[in-house]
Amino acid sequence: MGVEAGETHDRDAHRSPALNIDDAWLSQQFPELGSLKRLVTGGQKSVYTATHPSDGEVVLKIIHPSEDPERVRREILAVQKAACPRVPRILGEGKLQSNVGEVLWVREQRISGESLRVVIQKGPLGKDELLRLAVHLLEALADAEKVHIVHRDVKPENVIRDLGGRFWLLDFGIARHLDLTSLTGSHAPFGVGTAGYAPPEQFRNRKRDIDARADLFALGVTLYESATCKNPFRDGIRDNLQALHNVERVALPPLQLPFDSAGEIAGFVTAFTQKRHNHRPLSIAEALDWVRDIAMRQGVVI
Amino acid sequence: MQLYLQFGFGMMEHSVHLLTAWGGGTVILSPRDLEPFQVQSFAARVLKVKNSQILFDPQFYLPHADHARLTKHSYWPKQYDTGIFWSGPGLEELLTKLLDLNRTIGCQRFILPGLLAESINDDWLNQQRAVIDTGAKMTSGFPRLITLALGADTVRNQDQIHELLDTATDWNAEGFYVVCEHANGKYLVDDPSWITNVLDLLAGLRLLGKEVILGYCTHQFLIANLSKASAIASGTWMNLRSFPPEKFSAAYNEDIKQKAVWYYCPQALSEYKIPSLDLAYSQGLLPAMAPPPSLGSNYAMGLFGGTQPTTVGLDEPSAFRHYLQCLHSQVGLLAYPSFDEAVAGEERRLDTARQLLTQLQRAGVLGQLRDFSQVLDSNLAAIRAHSNTRGHQMRRRWTSL
Repeated sequence: MGVEAGETHDRDAHRSPALNIDDAWLSQQFPELGSLKRLVTGGQKSVYTATHPSDGEVVLKIIHPSEDPERVRREILAVQKAACPRVPRILGEGKLQSNVGEVLWVREQRISGESLRVVIQKGPLGKDELLRLAVHLLEALADAEKVHIVHRDVKPENVIRDLGGRFWLLDFGIARHLDLTSLTGSHAPFGVGTAGYAPPEQFRNRKRDIDARADLFALGVTLYESATCKNPFRDGIRDNLQALHNVERVALPPLQLPFDSAGEIAGFVTAFTQKRHNHRPLSIAEALDWVRDIAMRQGVVI
Repeated sequence: MQLYLQFGFGMMEHSVHLLTAWGGGTVILSPRDLEPFQVQSFAARVLKVKNSQILFDPQFYLPHADHARLTKHSYWPKQYDTGIFWSGPGLEELLTKLLDLNRTIGCQRFILPGLLAESINDDWLNQQRAVIDTGAKMTSGFPRLITLALGADTVRNQDQIHELLDTATDWNAEGFYVVCEHANGKYLVDDPSWITNVLDLLAGLRLLGKEVILGYCTHQFLIANLSKASAIASGTWMNLRSFPPEKFSAAYNEDIKQKAVWYYCPQALSEYKIPSLDLAYSQGLLPAMAPPPSLGSNYAMGLFGGTQPTTVGLDEPSAFRHYLQCLHSQVGLLAYPSFDEAVAGEERRLDTARQLLTQLQRAGVLGQLRDFSQVLDSNLAAIRAHSNTRGHQMRRRWTSL
C-alpha cells in the first residue's frame, strides 16, 4: 500500500487526543479542493489527500490546536527557506475556526510513492538505490544547511520513494533554525528527535554542538538500515532509553555489502555515524561531494 | 610534513649548521633561551642561510611565572595583573611590541601569544578570543599562528579537545602552533588516549584548512603525519622535545651538567647511553643499530667503526646533530600518497622497531626511559583509534591537505 507525502510519524500521540474533524465540514471550508480523502489522523494532525485546480495532487494537513503554533510556523518556514526540490513544496497555509478552537492548515505538494520504511520492510536496497538515496537526501539536507536549518528527524519514516525512484525528505516539524532561538528548553535533559537515529549531541540537548552534522548521523543510520534492514541501535531494545544509550556506547558494526568490496559505501556510512560531530564530514556539502564522487565512479545514475 | 628546529639552550651553532646542511628550514626562536640582544643577531644568522625562516614563540604561557630571562625581553609586561591586563591596554601593548619584534627580526608568520590551558574553560577561551581578535585587527596581511598551549590533563580529556575544536572553527588566523604537556611528564608518552587526542586535535585543525605546527616533539610524533601536521618541531635537550610548562617559570632548574650523551637508533626509535652500546658491541648487535645510510647522518658513525663504543665516545654536539639529522630525514620520508599508505608506513616503522628492540632487550641493551618498547603499543593503539575516527576524513582529504 502506498503512502503520501505529508504522512507523519506519531511522535506526540500521547500528548493529546486525536483531532476529530468532520470531513463534510472540512470540504465546505475548502471548496476548491476535490476528492478530499482522509489519509491519517494522529495526535498532532489529520492528513488528507485532495486535488487542487492549479496545484494538482496535494496533501492537506490540519494541525491540532494543542500543537505549538510557533513550531508549525517554523516547519513551514524551514521548507520555504530550504526551497529544495527533494522536499515537497508548501503550496498554501492558513487558519480555520473549528469546534475545538483555531486550527492551522497547510497544503503541500503530494508525492505518490512508498515510505522508505515500507520499502526496506520488503528487503534491503541495492547499490544503485542506496547511493541514490544517499545523494537525494544529502541534496535536501545541503539545501537546508545553506539556510542554517537542521532537520533533526531523518529516518526511514520521513523519506518517500516516489514512483520514479526518487527519494524525498519529509517532515521538518522539529527542524532547528540555527539563526532563531531554540524552542526546546535549554535545561531539558533530552532534546527532540527519534531514539536510535538522533546523534548524541542532539538527544543530550547539547545545543551548541548541534549543526548540520547531526543530520549526517541520522542519515548514516538510515543508510545503514536501508542496506541491512537493521538498525543496530534499536535492534532488540526494551525502550527508547536503551536506544539512546546504544547510540552513545555502541559502534555500528562496519557495513559489509557484497556490492561494496572496496568499502566505499561502508566508508562514508561509518564517517556519517561517528559519535563525535567533529569526526563526521565538516558539512553536508562536503558529504554530498563525497557520495556523488562515488556514485559517478561507480556509474550510478542519480 | 616538515621538521622545524625548536630553539633552546646551546642551539645556535647546531641550527645554523643543520639548516646549511639541509639547504634551509625553519627555526622557532625561544626568548627563554636568548638574551634580548641575541634575538636579532641570531635571527639574522639564520636568515642568511638560504631558504631559511624564523618564527618567534613569545612563550607567554605563564605570564605570572617571572622567568628571569623572559622578563628581560621588552615585550614582556612590566607587571602582569590578570584583570588589568585583559581588560585594559595590556594585551594591545604586548601585541604591538611583539609585532614590531617579529617584523624587525624578519619573521614571515606571527605566533600569537597564548596562555597555558590547564582546562578548556570560558576564561581561557575568552582570553584566546581576545588575543586572536586583537591580533587580527593589528596585523592585517601578516599571517598569524594561534598558540594552543595545553596541559596534560586537557590533552587527555577528549571532551575538552572537542570543545576546543568546536570553538577554534571560527578563529581568525592562518594556523596553529600547538604545544602539549606530556602525560605524566614522560619523555616518551605511554598514554594512548593522550597520543590519540593529540592526533585528533591536529587532524581537526588541519581539516579546517589551517597550517598546524606541533612544537616540542620527540621522534614519537613522527605519527603526526597521520594528521597531516604541517610541521613538528624538535631540538637538542629533552626539554625541547617535550613541553614541561614549569621550565617557563622562575623556579626551573636547568641542571644541564648531569645530562648524559644519548645515541639515537632511528630504526629502533630509541636512544641509548653509550655504555649500553658496548653491550650490543660485545654481542655482535651493534651493526644493527647503525643509522641507515639513507638517513644521511655521519655524526655518530665513529661508534660503528669496529671498536668498543665507549672507547670512541660520542660528543654531545654530534649526538644532537645525529638525532636531528635522522629525524629530519625520517620526516622527509613521510610523503605518502594516501592515508592508508601512511598508516601502513607507520605500522611498518613500529614493527621494525619492535623486532630490533626485542633482540636488543634479550641482549640486555636497554634504552631506559628512552626505550621505545614502552610506548610501541601506545603508538600502535593511537594509530588504530585515529584511523577509526579520522581515517575516513583523512583518506578523502589527504591529497588536498
